[in-house]
Amino acid sequence: MLKRLARIFLPVFVSAILFSPSLRAFEPSAQDRELLERIEKDTLQYFVRLSNKETGFTKDSSRPGAPSSVAATGFALAAYAIGESRGWLTPDYARSRILTTLRMLRNKTAHREGFFYHFLDNRTGKRVWGSEASSIDTALVVAGALLAAQYYPGTEIEKLAHEIYERVNWKWMMNGSDFICMGWTPEGKFLPYYWDSYNELMILVALAIGSPTFPAPERTWDRWMRPEGDYNGHKVIFASSGSLFTYQFSHAYIDFRALNDQGINYFENSREATLANREYSMSFADQYKSYSENSWGLSASVGPGGYKAYGGKPGAGLHDGTIAPYAALSSIVFTPELSTKAARFFFDNYQANLYGNFGFKDAFNLDKQWWAQEYLGIDQGITLLMLENYLNGEVVWKKFMELPAIKKWIELTGLAKRSTSVTEN
Amino acid sequence: MAQNRRKHFFINKPLQTRFMLAVVIPLFLINLAAIAGLYFGIWSKVLETFSDEQTLNDLITASRMVEYEQARHPGAAQDFSSLSFFKQTEKLGQRQREVFKGILDETNRSLLWKFGLLLVLISWGTIFISHKIAGPFLRFSRAFHEVEKGNYRTRIFLRKLDEGHPVAQEFNDAMEKTDHLLSDLKTLSREKDAPQAVAKMQEKLSAVQTSADA
Repeated sequence: MLKRLARIFLPVFVSAILFSPSLRAFEPSAQDRELLERIEKDTLQYFVRLSNKETGFTKDSSRPGAPSSVAATGFALAAYAIGESRGWLTPDYARSRILTTLRMLRNKTAHREGFFYHFLDNRTGKRVWGSEASSIDTALVVAGALLAAQYYPGTEIEKLAHEIYERVNWKWMMNGSDFICMGWTPEGKFLPYYWDSYNELMILVALAIGSPTFPAPERTWDRWMRPEGDYNGHKVIFASSGSLFTYQFSHAYIDFRALNDQGINYFENSREATLANREYSMSFADQYKSYSENSWGLSASVGPGGYKAYGGKPGAGLHDGTIAPYAALSSIVFTPELSTKAARFFFDNYQANLYGNFGFKDAFNLDKQWWAQEYLGIDQGITLLMLENYLNGEVVWKKFMELPAIKKWIELTGLAKRSTSVTEN
Repeated sequence: MAQNRRKHFFINKPLQTRFMLAVVIPLFLINLAAIAGLYFGIWSKVLETFSDEQTLNDLITASRMVEYEQARHPGAAQDFSSLSFFKQTEKLGQRQREVFKGILDETNRSLLWKFGLLLVLISWGTIFISHKIAGPFLRFSRAFHEVEKGNYRTRIFLRKLDEGHPVAQEFNDAMEKTDHLLSDLKTLSREKDAPQAVAKMQEKLSAVQTSADA
């Protein structure tokens, strides 16, 4: 299968190397750059304001009564470190918040074999809503912790972050299979769902294989399916939902530009997926007022009928006229010009309804005159990290790619790493 | 009056069955929609009414949790129970779910026999109504058979509450005139003065329009 994929995608990979624009190929105007900086800075406030001061846990959503999300907490750890490095938070404040959170995660948070429950009580760290000990959400909090560790080498932050990572028994979560299970509950034990096909799983599998203590076997990387799809000439290894976030989450931390998965370049893949997603929504522009050249982004978000895995093609392509601004913004490393124009469009046209203290709210739907009143933690997180990579010299990628675990994953899986990064050319 | 009362209500099964289906199914669906609307409306209201802000937030959060799971595991099979219609309850505590399920099940049981009774009443009502239409149809049918056999003395007599009295009356009037004409012709045919009888017969028949006049 991989050989067949290699035949198809090798030319794409080669062209990606030869012709891929660096993140600087498009230079936003001073006003646009100022806007993007403002969005990143405001988005950071979600984590500052909606994380519990005593425990550090970050709310899943700004909605009253929302529990903490362990994935959002992971993004908060990254956000504080970024906030300090940018001068938006004082060193004392950022470090104490990170330490509080890591101590809580290390010592007082409910977990099973190192896997944290998806949703936690804000004040106690106990499991709530019957949620599962979640592999992907644990990966996201570990990624945030490890990134924070890279910002503060030689400190307690680094020590705690690595202890949390090293406690995770990735092999246990495979439940004897070739794939990592999505989760485990005390009531039903292992969920009947596995990370067996392309989506946001790459960060999870990378951390699992790179683990110094309970690593997943190398073959875990090769086993998951890489379904090929095509929309409007955009060839994509696609996620079943077609949701844009599935092409973004792993890329917040891992710089895939120089990695070659037997001919597949996942950075280029996400760029194509973004273009396909945008063109898919544009093909319905005559039916839905929200869709236009600069108003795009079909991704899992809240909508008029609740939270749904909206997406484009290739994939399920579920849509109802709801646009998630975070989705367009978080593709900024893949499609800088289009994402910047989208950010400008959303801000200039819908600021009153869509922009608040924490940046862009989650989604809107013009046909139904519906505007989300809330922000979602993980959507805020991906926005912040992608903007940071784009605006601040790819700092997140650079720090994360230096982690021994990531180097080990690259080494073991044979993902070829080119000597010079595309952006440095 | 007593002897006029029908003993069998199913007197024309195909007709009455068609009629019943035409009436029962729409009535059943209308009732079903009305009851379902009331049922879910009432329970949603109950949930809201019983919810203080904290509980309401919990219920909204519970719904969101289920939506998250549905988004992450599309097509996942859900266990069916009376709670399945109220997705927000899926994330309530075990005890809360049990209490709510108990109330729901009791309500459902209470509504079920009432709904069954309603269905029986609707069915009986349509049989009762349909036989008032099927009865006259049957009598008309029998009368036409009698006429076909040459019995022009046949008349239709409907019950007081049957449908179709005006039509039966017109039929009887028409049959009475025909009967008189044929009786007169029959009487004239027996007269000994044949030419005079033929002239009278021709006179009577001149007022009658038949295919022979074409």
